[in-house]
Amino acid sequence: MNTPLPPFANPLTHLGYEETKLLKPRAFSAVCARPGVGKTAFLVQMALWAMSRKKNVLHVSLGDPIKKVDLWYQDLFSHIARRSALPDAAAAWPTFLPRRFIMTFRVEGFSVPKLEERLADLVEQQIFTPHVIVIDGIESDSALHAFTAELQNLARKFLLPVWISVRIQEYPSTQEGHPPSTPLPESNASFESIVCIEGAADRIHVRGIKGGTPQALGTTLSLDPATLLLTTEKAS
Amino acid sequence: MKIDNRHVRNIGISAHIDAGKTTLTERVLFYTQRIHAIHDVKGKDGVGATMDFMELEKERGITIASAATYCRWKEHDINIIDTPGHVDFTIEVERSLRILDGAILVLCSVGGVQSQSITVNHQMNRYRIPCIAFINKCDRVGANPARVARQIKEKLGHHAVPLQLPIGLEAGFSGVVDLISMNALYFDGDKGESVRVEPIPESLREEAEKSRETLIDSVSLFSDELMEAALEERITEPMLMAAVRKATLARNIMPVLLGSAYKNKGVQPLLDAVTRFLPSPVDVTNTAVDVKRENTVVELKNDTGAPLVALAFKLEDGPYGQLTYIRVYQGTLSKGDTVQNVRTEKTLKIGRVVRMHADRMEDIEAIPAGYIGALFGVDCYSGDTFVKPGLGISMTSMHVPEPVISLALFPQGNKSQMNIAKALERFTKEDPTFKTHVDEESGETIISGMGELHLEIYVERMRREYQAEVTTGMPRVAYREAITQRADFDYTHKKQTGGSGQYGRVVGYMEPALGEDFAFESQVVGGAIPKPFLAACEKGFRNCLKKGPFMEYPVIGIKIVVQDGNTHPVDSSDVAFQAAARGAFMQAFHKARPMLMEPVMKVVVETPTEFQGGVMGSLNQRRGIIEGAQDEGLFSVIESRVPLSEMFGYSTVLRSLTQGKAQFTMEFSSYQPVPAAVAEALARKKTDPKGKSQ
Repeated sequence: MNTPLPPFANPLTHLGYEETKLLKPRAFSAVCARPGVGKTAFLVQMALWAMSRKKNVLHVSLGDPIKKVDLWYQDLFSHIARRSALPDAAAAWPTFLPRRFIMTFRVEGFSVPKLEERLADLVEQQIFTPHVIVIDGIESDSALHAFTAELQNLARKFLLPVWISVRIQEYPSTQEGHPPSTPLPESNASFESIVCIEGAADRIHVRGIKGGTPQALGTTLSLDPATLLLTTEKAS
Repeated sequence: MKIDNRHVRNIGISAHIDAGKTTLTERVLFYTQRIHAIHDVKGKDGVGATMDFMELEKERGITIASAATYCRWKEHDINIIDTPGHVDFTIEVERSLRILDGAILVLCSVGGVQSQSITVNHQMNRYRIPCIAFINKCDRVGANPARVARQIKEKLGHHAVPLQLPIGLEAGFSGVVDLISMNALYFDGDKGESVRVEPIPESLREEAEKSRETLIDSVSLFSDELMEAALEERITEPMLMAAVRKATLARNIMPVLLGSAYKNKGVQPLLDAVTRFLPSPVDVTNTAVDVKRENTVVELKNDTGAPLVALAFKLEDGPYGQLTYIRVYQGTLSKGDTVQNVRTEKTLKIGRVVRMHADRMEDIEAIPAGYIGALFGVDCYSGDTFVKPGLGISMTSMHVPEPVISLALFPQGNKSQMNIAKALERFTKEDPTFKTHVDEESGETIISGMGELHLEIYVERMRREYQAEVTTGMPRVAYREAITQRADFDYTHKKQTGGSGQYGRVVGYMEPALGEDFAFESQVVGGAIPKPFLAACEKGFRNCLKKGPFMEYPVIGIKIVVQDGNTHPVDSSDVAFQAAARGAFMQAFHKARPMLMEPVMKVVVETPTEFQGGVMGSLNQRRGIIEGAQDEGLFSVIESRVPLSEMFGYSTVLRSLTQGKAQFTMEFSSYQPVPAAVAEALARKKTDPKGKSQ
């Protein structure tokens, strides 16, 4: 059981997001997309990458049961392991498990103080000390706006980077030569990094909206529809 | 041919201890004329016996009623099925619950929703069984049915919809107002047997009208037709009843009825509600697996003419031999039929077919789909599926997990020993996860099962049902040995001194095989080891797995690859190659860095949210990995994986941590390596003679 964690590559390098930025304590980041495009798959890949960097991830899901979230992890782990040519994926998986804690809430029952109370419980009792929090399933920008300040406080208090997925209904307009406008007009200022997943079922690409390096502007990643893995692709 | 079994109800009556389940069942049987006198359960003669029974039920949650009792109410056939109260996830509980189509949840109007009601409710939720609630003991001091209805919402999370109002409470409880028909019901006669229908008393009219509106509002959420009718103010009684039924079947609401079984009030309307609102076999979709098509799930047809599929769900020892309770899901099971047991693939002829009443049995010709009956003289195990020969459909998955925990039994005296033998024979038939054997070294009788509580229940049953005086040893965990790296072997077995000689050489390697107990592969080319001797090699290696060289526990997760070898024209034999394999195994095993593996259980705790932190702490202290916590509003579900050896006595710990409000289920998950410090302690215990009994 002393198998070392196999390191996975930072999925967002090509969009100009460095590891130091993404995993910096108190960093506040969001991924936005319309329903069913791949927000959960994206967050799980970010979580698996962080876990491979020896970070403990608290995955908060609004609406999905633990079992379903676990299946996302298992599925994407096997795809990444295959792509990374990991020699013994089956033996490596158990080394990831202690680095993940899933917490699920009913959408209507979720509140940041409740999350904070649970988190404090975990840390105080030394059950699990997270290094990264991912929150999946926030309904809209306006729902997010309602507790952005509380979430920022949480990130500050526990010195943790927080990644959030937000369901949006409209994509921001893009003009050639200009940075795309934000999909989160109400909460934009609160985030250091914002990534948007766009497209239809046959071709999905991921674009950096905020926080990437200027050199990476105009670069996109693809989300492979078969495996939902992020893959490198230079925009035309 | 489709049979109309819409008038059949297969129900369970579940209750917290002292909520009045026994009294209610007794009244149900009286009013349905199955028994002709009502016995006072706290009568002078029965005080001791009743209390003993209740005490045992409280401790272990076992009911000792007949497995299925048949009665008839207003053209409806009702089978009341015994529902086990214990929460441990065992195949037996699963089977009993899957037989039910609906249930009555009995609650005490004074005590309200208590921990065992929560447990029972969770079982019903798990199997998605539609329920109606009966708030009993409305004649008691402190009775408050409205509070209990609120608790059903708050503590059980059900949309409780009262269908009745009480007329008076405590000593003044005299009847109920039916909010559907808007009549007052009184129960006359010595035993409340005649129901008198009267107009609603003036003092209750306003409250009744308000409550009816609330009822319509609640139910119309789940029925567009009722919603429209409510807007147009043209609601009829049948329309309201149909909407309540539809919402109950979908588990959108839990209708609430009131009464006092002890004072013979409110039982007949409850029986009416069973026939009106709980599902018949037609309303339930039942599935099975097709063992001939890789366990594909198939839907069963509620058709008496279709090929037979029936499940034996309970065995009982009676004066005439084994009585097998059976539910027919598809087709008809008739006297004289030839059927096949899917597990054993043996065909058998059906002799006597009976239907169980409260105190007697009645011979019948056949059990059609949707009905429950019992068979005599059928040799089978509980959970066996009987089908038309050749059909290959099983109601239960054929996979039976290996036991993970064992206990030694010490009978006190010869009589007890004989009784234990009888009990074990029956229990192993009832439950395929319960196994027994005699330890070769110590001569002790060992029982094995899926958890501490699982075994405790059987030990208790030996004492109670078989009058066996028995003590038990400490629980033992079924450890295993496994290797962690590849190791080569090259072993020659040579014995050429006196008599016929033995010669065999095997060359190859062993390596860990994840997810498999044992794999054997031959890469021998050019006939270096002939095929018959390869089979002997495999047998030799397999024999080594029973007792590992590391700490004498069975070996799992190993792959053996034989690449080369040598034979002798005269001295090579099966025996010689088996011995060579044994030598090769010993040679390589220690080089392959063996380690000890322990069973790790998937432990799911359902706890009121306020105790979530404490429960997680308790699992963490037990070397558990908590996978997640699911917030369900009032309740939280914590999923974790914990080594079995750390789970002894956990039910007591959990009870005291959560005021008895949490429950947990535990099932085998996988074998995982034992941490070095724990393995060392185990090794020390093994070498210490005093530790042998541990």
